[in-house]
Amino acid sequence: MGNVNDFKFLSERGFQGLVKGLLKELKVYGTIVKDGFPAFGEISAPEELVLSSTPTHLSAKEFFFPQREVLLKFNIKTAAFSPVIESVDQAIIGMHPCDIRALSLMDRVFAAGTPDPNYLSRRSKTLIIGSDCMPDDYCFCKSLGNSEAESGFDIFLHALGKGFLVRTGSDKGRAALLKYAKLRAPSTKEFREFQGLCLKRDSSFKAKVDAPPAELPSIYAKSDESKVWQKIGAICTGCGSCNNVCPTCYCFDVKDEVKASLAEGERVRNWDGCTLEDFAKVAGGHNFRKTRAERLRHRFNRKFRYLSSTFDSLFCVGCGRCSRACLVKINIVEVTNELVSECHNK
Amino acid sequence: METPYQPIAGTVERSIRVSEKERLFSVIPSDPTLLKYRPGQFYMVGLPGYGEAPISITSGPGEALIELCVRAVGNLTNALHSLRKGDKIWLRGPFGRGFDLEELEGKDLVFVAGGIGIVPMRSLLKAVLGRREKFGRLTLIYGSRSPDELLFSEEMDGWRAAGMDVKLTVDRAEPLWKGNVGVVTTLIPKVEVAQKNTVGVIIGPPVMYRFVILSLNAKGLGPEDIFVSLERRMKCGLGKCGHCQINSLYICQCGPVFRMSELKGMVEAI
Ligand SMILES: Cc1cc2nc3c(=O)[nH]c(=O)nc-3n(C[C@H](O)[C@H](O)[C@H](O)COP(=O)(O)OP(=O)(O)OC[C@H]3O[C@@H](n4cnc5c(N)ncnc54)[C@H](O)[C@@H]3O)c2cc1C
Ligand code: SF4
Ligand code: SF4
Ligand code: FES
Repeated sequence: MGNVNDFKFLSERGFQGLVKGLLKELKVYGTIVKDGFPAFGEISAPEELVLSSTPTHLSAKEFFFPQREVLLKFNIKTAAFSPVIESVDQAIIGMHPCDIRALSLMDRVFAAGTPDPNYLSRRSKTLIIGSDCMPDDYCFCKSLGNSEAESGFDIFLHALGKGFLVRTGSDKGRAALLKYAKLRAPSTKEFREFQGLCLKRDSSFKAKVDAPPAELPSIYAKSDESKVWQKIGAICTGCGSCNNVCPTCYCFDVKDEVKASLAEGERVRNWDGCTLEDFAKVAGGHNFRKTRAERLRHRFNRKFRYLSSTFDSLFCVGCGRCSRACLVKINIVEVTNELVSECHNK
Repeated sequence: METPYQPIAGTVERSIRVSEKERLFSVIPSDPTLLKYRPGQFYMVGLPGYGEAPISITSGPGEALIELCVRAVGNLTNALHSLRKGDKIWLRGPFGRGFDLEELEGKDLVFVAGGIGIVPMRSLLKAVLGRREKFGRLTLIYGSRSPDELLFSEEMDGWRAAGMDVKLTVDRAEPLWKGNVGVVTTLIPKVEVAQKNTVGVIIGPPVMYRFVILSLNAKGLGPEDIFVSLERRMKCGLGKCGHCQINSLYICQCGPVFRMSELKGMVEAI
């Protein structure tokens, strides 16, 4: 919850002024309402923003790692390839603690080994403004230890009945506030209200994983032969929605698209999903993960086990998006808890 | 700004049909640093409009050209087959860690290749035969579906002369075929193996590994004594796209060559 000195008060009008200021300099994306649901979208005026208390259907990853992105342009006649690295200065308003945690994991992925210039250039030009949330039935970030954003944002907003308590997380955030917002120290009443809201949020989590996060990699490691995989594999439709909505799913496909002129084209990367049938198929038709059960086992292990040895962190942040999106109601918390109880009963 | 997706141009110096479905290319890369490779490594090979695919290096280390042998199976590989002398080809790499020859020194080596598994194996064979005195007994067991699908058969006499026992087998015999008929595992029991000092290397189609490993186990070779080169779908070569992943390993970077003991407990590896 922090110390009162870590916070400043920003009025509602002050917030509008901040957004207006940012709109002059950057492309601004934020949470809006699309088809009745909270979603990230581009805004052109502060009134369009609806700071959502529940997670958006899609995560914010598309602003750093778009669903479709050109990597190279080529000319078939002159036989030349040229790199395409497109990025603009942008701000994302309304990312929740889970989204911010996910982004910091993606930062590490795209910087590791051979750095990815496309992701990194977008990332370096982005101002992150986080905002508070209220868990729904699917949110379980708290049981993974991710419910508070300590870092990874430039500015963080805690909405009160009127106005916000604000934390700054970087020089970039501090500079933006200095330029466009009038801040003052919060009153005792305001800080109490904030503390009350924090407690309310903290006690509102319903979904939780039944084991300490640090034990999950070894629980998954013992569960390769679990019957759970067959059970969920039997109902999964292989639609790939869970991959699309997940803020830490970053697998992709690369293919060439040729213009109608047949002279030019682009090498393009698109989101791909390990739950899709062809993901691990090679020439000759051999599929290294033939069944849906194997593909789901891979996806879940990637979140709780495989990447944890490389990045020293779980790759599930507990946003619950995959469970919300799944039409056959495969629920990541229930699956994990079944594995936990199988392991404890062994 | 630079991007790791930028391919380097190469010029096709030679393009020869080596079987019904395979063509062998010799390529001079415009950037000579691409010639620094190890057996077992591969390039992402591409053409504008057709994308990229992982293709193994089949030439030996230190050669002035890169040799690639491509089986036409789909979009890109068929387009590659139309390349002739002077045409451009695009490369990124080399990728993967390949074979460490020093680890194999002083050992008897049994190479087991199936189908186009001979393509990457040839690079290793050339490297080993180039320093023949450093190794013990050498045996190659190579199988293909039919005699006319056997690749590099004109080179086999040279390999034999250089001190390697070459045993060939085909699944389907034809009237003129005088050699062995049957899958590669039928030849393994006939190989003399000095248990303590033999290393097996397996490269072939996915279905082959399990059986060959069992036959080598029966000869006394354990997980420390067997190397495999694994095929997976690959889209980047950079450890990012996720297609080649087995557990925490990205085959494009940590492999494709592995000692079997490194794959212990990985249910999807073999
Ligand atoms: C490390 C490694 C080394 C290889 N070395 C050689 C070699 O030396 N010679 C050779 O002929 N082949 C080699 N291959 C196989 C070769 O990469 C595939 O045949 C090629 O990707 C097919 O591409 P395509 O565009 O012609 O086929 P496509 O039209 O893309 O599809 C044909 C089939 O290939 C599969 N496929 C598509 N993309 C890939 C991919 N990136 N990786 C694997 N399968 C894919 C599809 O699922 C489909 O079944 C190697 C593969 C790997 C992983
Ligand atoms: S796996 Fe599911 S709950 Fe975990 S981060 Fe991804 S979408 Fe969220
Ligand atoms: S969203 Fe559900 S049905 Fe679709 S692939 Fe994921 S688990 Fe399967
Ligand atoms: S080929 Fe993309 S991660 Fe290995």
